Amino acid sequence: MGKSTQTGNHKSDRKKHIARTWKTKHRTKDLDQIHSDMTTEAAAKLLHQAVDSDVTGCAQHYCLHCARYFVDLRSMKEHFKTKVHKRRLKKLREEPYTQAEADRAAGMGSYIAPKKVEVKTQTVEEDMN
Amino acid sequence: MRIEKCYFCSGPAYPGHGVTFVRNDCKSFRFCRSKCLKNFKKKRNPRKTRWTKAFRKATGKELTVDNALEFEKRRNIPVKYSRGLWDKTVEAMKRVEEIKRKRQARFIMNRLKKGKQLEKEEAITEVKKNIHLIKAPHAGKAKQLEAKMVQKLQEDVDMEADAI
Repeated sequence: MGKSTQTGNHKSDRKKHIARTWKTKHRTKDLDQIHSDMTTEAAAKLLHQAVDSDVTGCAQHYCLHCARYFVDLRSMKEHFKTKVHKRRLKKLREEPYTQAEADRAAGMGSYIAPKKVEVKTQTVEEDMN
Repeated sequence: MRIEKCYFCSGPAYPGHGVTFVRNDCKSFRFCRSKCLKNFKKKRNPRKTRWTKAFRKATGKELTVDNALEFEKRRNIPVKYSRGLWDKTVEAMKRVEEIKRKRQARFIMNRLKKGKQLEKEEAITEVKKNIHLIKAPHAGKAKQLEAKMVQKLQEDVDMEADAI
């Protein structure tokens, strides 16, 4: 259960600089941040961003659950079909871990089971132009 | 001064020990040691990491719901010092700890009992399944057969005697 999923073999480039990817500079969003992004207000803001030429795809194609920008609609749709995305959805289906839960586990109060959250891939509106 | 609980492993993080990580949305995370910080950086889920308290509680390894767990709380209102209250509190803390320990130990012993029972059941089914390795299927039947043969021979002899 506690085993991490293998991301590649020993020689793969992905594992060459693991320490570097864990640096604060390269931090990606945590699951609880994504949970707060999933509220309708925040989601609307993230999915309809102003054109920003510094961001991949001018910040027009954003996957809410993976916190990733895509070049175009097609590549985003392809991404929705991938294992990475599906795995992320599965992780998000559980209520995020909090400091309160850590305190409870340490003996400050009784255990409360985490709730299930329904998570679905965002709907993509098709622009016919 | 307060002894915080580690975000990852729920262990005590004493003042002057461990690290506090402040995320760019101002949320702070306290870690008791570098091990916990590293695991947090790897984005591991404490509920699924076997050595954390959160895992042990979530999977029912430890006492989860009990009144003895309700005493320790984060109280944000300061209490004016009085010697009598201090004495009583320390006394109560000791007693609560004692009761809590007893209950936790009992919970674990009860949990382990189930395994013992399952082990026994499994052993019985294994013996039942593989009994042919210990006892041959025709074991004990030889004597019966012999008795039958003797009886039949006796009958034959009797028949022949009658015929003559």
